[in-house]
Amino acid sequence: MIVGCLIDSLMKLIGKKLTIKKLEDTLFLLKAEIEKVEGNEIEIEINPDRQDMLSVEGIARAVRAFLGIKKGFPNFPVKKSGKSVVVDKGLERIRKYIACGIVKGVEINEDLLIQYMHLQESLTTTHGRNRRKASIGLYIHDDLKYPVRYFTEKPEKIIFPPLGYEEEMNGPTIIEKHEKGVAYGSIISHHKKWPLLTDSGGKVLSLPPVINSNMLGRLTTETSNIFVEVTGTHLPTVNQALNIMVTSLAERSGKIESLVVQYPDGSKHTTPDLKAKVMKVSKDDIAALTGMELSDEEVIECLEKMCYGAKISAKGMVTVQVPRYRTDVLHAVDIIEDIAIGYGFDRIIPTMPSTMTAGRLLPLTRLKNKARDLMVGLGYQEVMSYIMTSPVTLNDKMLRSSEIVETGNPKSRDYSVLRNSLLPILLDFATQNQHVDLPQRVFEVGDIVFPDELAETRTNQVSSVCGLVTDVNVNLTNMMTEIGFFLRGMALDGRFSFQNAEDPSFIKGRCARIAIDKELVGIFGEISPEVLSNFELGTPVIAFEITLPKNGEW
Amino acid sequence: MTEQQLTKGERIVLKELVAISDQVSASILSQKVQEKEERVISILNALAERGLVELTVSELINLRLTEEGKDYAISWLPEVRLFGAVQELGGKASMEDAISKSGLTQKEKGIAMNWAQKNGWLGIIRDQGRAVLEAKVGEADSPIMRVLQKLNEGEENLPEHLASSAQVAIQRGLVTEYVTKVFQTNLIPAKLGSISSLLSETQDGIVDLTPEMLSSGSWRDTSFRPYNVSADPPYVNYGRKHPYAEFNDWLKEILVGLGFSEWFGPYVETELWNNDALFVPQDHVAREVQDQFGVTKPFDHGDISNVRYFKQVKAVHENGGNTGSIGWEAPFSKEVSSRLVLRSHTTPVSMRYLAEHKESPQKMFIVDRNFRAESLSARHAQEFNQCEGIIMDKGLTLKDLMGYLSEIVRRVGIKKMKFKPGQFPFTEPSVECFAKHDVLGWIEVAPGGIFRPEVTYPLGLKDPVLAWGIGSGRLYMASMGINDIRELYSRDLAWIRRKYFVR
Repeated sequence: MIVGCLIDSLMKLIGKKLTIKKLEDTLFLLKAEIEKVEGNEIEIEINPDRQDMLSVEGIARAVRAFLGIKKGFPNFPVKKSGKSVVVDKGLERIRKYIACGIVKGVEINEDLLIQYMHLQESLTTTHGRNRRKASIGLYIHDDLKYPVRYFTEKPEKIIFPPLGYEEEMNGPTIIEKHEKGVAYGSIISHHKKWPLLTDSGGKVLSLPPVINSNMLGRLTTETSNIFVEVTGTHLPTVNQALNIMVTSLAERSGKIESLVVQYPDGSKHTTPDLKAKVMKVSKDDIAALTGMELSDEEVIECLEKMCYGAKISAKGMVTVQVPRYRTDVLHAVDIIEDIAIGYGFDRIIPTMPSTMTAGRLLPLTRLKNKARDLMVGLGYQEVMSYIMTSPVTLNDKMLRSSEIVETGNPKSRDYSVLRNSLLPILLDFATQNQHVDLPQRVFEVGDIVFPDELAETRTNQVSSVCGLVTDVNVNLTNMMTEIGFFLRGMALDGRFSFQNAEDPSFIKGRCARIAIDKELVGIFGEISPEVLSNFELGTPVIAFEITLPKNGEW
Repeated sequence: MTEQQLTKGERIVLKELVAISDQVSASILSQKVQEKEERVISILNALAERGLVELTVSELINLRLTEEGKDYAISWLPEVRLFGAVQELGGKASMEDAISKSGLTQKEKGIAMNWAQKNGWLGIIRDQGRAVLEAKVGEADSPIMRVLQKLNEGEENLPEHLASSAQVAIQRGLVTEYVTKVFQTNLIPAKLGSISSLLSETQDGIVDLTPEMLSSGSWRDTSFRPYNVSADPPYVNYGRKHPYAEFNDWLKEILVGLGFSEWFGPYVETELWNNDALFVPQDHVAREVQDQFGVTKPFDHGDISNVRYFKQVKAVHENGGNTGSIGWEAPFSKEVSSRLVLRSHTTPVSMRYLAEHKESPQKMFIVDRNFRAESLSARHAQEFNQCEGIIMDKGLTLKDLMGYLSEIVRRVGIKKMKFKPGQFPFTEPSVECFAKHDVLGWIEVAPGGIFRPEVTYPLGLKDPVLAWGIGSGRLYMASMGINDIRELYSRDLAWIRRKYFVR
């Protein structure tokens, strides 16, 4: 995810003027990277685990702490506003959860307004899974009459001017006509009733998660008191989105106030809850995972550089205060990684452990290598092809009707299925090289895949060897001699035999199956003119294909 | 440098050229010296390289009859035969009579009707409801017929007035063009002196050493005729391995040398192994259709063969299980777990390996293909090779991971590297190793991490597992100076024949 901002604005928030090089090195150690610098504009790529750094305010907070300008748990005082949000019945299966907060006295101008909107967009796209899981709305606090109501309404009865429009529209019209309606309408449109947010005067805030109203939901450069609301289907995600949004606004001089959310079952939640989440991490675990023996002071220092609060409690345990805007701390290992980051990945000295094991190739790889060596000895050029191909190449052109493993979402028909034979792939290769010097002798060793109803993955994957010769004239007797050399080189002398066969891809009377101890493992012959013309090949072709045993032993 | 001696062939050709003392074509020269023309050209090339003769090449376009053209040259064109038949039948005849009289085949009939009408020789009139052919000219004049006959008589150059007819014959597939190269040569006058001194040297000696000479010892009494051993050998195409395959062979060799054992896993995976096992949340974007190929035919769901393992994975996702994690705090679907996909990375192979090898120490690697739902372009491909490995042992740490990563990237030839903290759903801590490339600057080459407890716990593993990967394609592209990812699996045989990987 890319965050774009102005360099001087970022430096002002950090509280120190850094060189671009210093900023780049610092961000690199914090998992972020500078993508582009152009004049006063900068683009920074944020790793998807650090949702709290999706704003310039969040980036500045992380850099500030890492450089020791302002370390430790960032305290965001929350005052009770005494206001509330009332949730009606009927939302359980649609969009169950809501979390809200008020931020007062936020700095605002045109640039900042764009920044706030950008954070809201980024958060709902990634963290909110394109608004499905959570979506965020910002409103003009001063124009609202509390309590805010969250309830369901019939689409036709939902009537308000959506953001960017002066005229009123009803629900179905918004979904059909408004750009956001077209983009996100499908999240709610299959429900009989849709979620709606109004103030107690009946004025519409928004149709979550689609669009704000053009009145209460249109922030201007006059709006310094903001009502923030997050609705969604997953409570932790909803709360985290709210926490990231309000703490980012608080970095711009905002003062956070909480509201009470009243659910229809009678439960009450006060949001936002920004009190630290407390976790305990043992010093032994820190040493075991990082390999570093850090002193108590160093551990605390590292944690504070990563915006945690930390103190040593009894028996080598560290009590850690985790900020509520961190969405990625699930386990003590997440905190331990941050200790290593706080220490600085550039300062960690790698060690080479003495884990003693004997390495080896798979027997099948050794057999494949043997096959490749024999083919090179026979004067064939190795080629490498994609595993994915088209059913036309595998079946239609080959006059085959084999079963094929298919994907449901190919980007093109040319690469939509898994190859079940190498021969069509090499014929296609020859077609694309008709301008290249003859004779052409090419081979490939690679995997092919067949459907297999009884297998765990419903597929059977085997390795195959295919050799192909094309020239102005070709000689099948020569190829039989070569296959004999190949199989004898595989220690199969006396075990293989050629059996006359008919196959639509080959000329009748010029095709045989290859058997090893009576088990059919391959085929060779001269390709039929009809197949050649299907591939638009202008020269005759002889070819063979042999599958290799899975365990590497014939 | 002393002037190099002449080979036998060069001597013969030069002598002949001195005798002719004028410009001469290679074909005439070859007749004079009674050698194959190709051999004479190759000798002339060598002489031209030595600056003794001048060799010019020009291309001539000649015409040649096709099989069909040859037939018609003898048996006459179908339209001529049809017209002749109508004439013989009195200038007017029914279709059937004319065809049977002319002896045309079914295929020829169409050709004959078409051209006879086009040439204005025959018309079709209705006579008592029947289609009747009528001659509209007294004599059918066919310049195409003259083209065929002249070519059949061995003439190579047609008179100017037949040029347009020859074009028609080419379009009708009766005549084809072929290009012949004509080599003209002459001595370079300034070199006449050195040529005569070269020719005056005696050139006796053995050409081929035989077993008889060896057994009789007769070779002692003579000398060996020299070869031109400083000539550049021509380009030829023998059997070779693919450069990218050789690159991957080299990676495997390095890893076996470091004590890693190779493993294997299927391209088609269940989501359980491809994602769930790696603690990728079930609603993660990487699982969506724009990122991951879903397998839909003939089967779209696979088996959950190890129910106990599945339950552990489910618990870890829903609430962290017994790992101390909070998990993803969301319901976990078995339907999603059993969906079939094309594996999007090789990490499920590592997981399958660990499921079968739970005792430390273990080192495993795989170099194989993975799939992402990308459109093929210069920067993206729907398939890519990944080289990945794991190390499981007691007491392994982040420092050890960095140590292994440094060692592996050093062995693939990277001298300068740095580490950045990284993020993958299945490892914590995670690192990304960046390498300094001469042209590309800092590039990410090797991600790695320590498997999360949510990943190792369901398998019952007790010791830390370090996991790392190398972007084999990216490294290969950097080392070969390739900018277009499609060239990894190039379909251009000329390119493959020319390219090599040497390390």
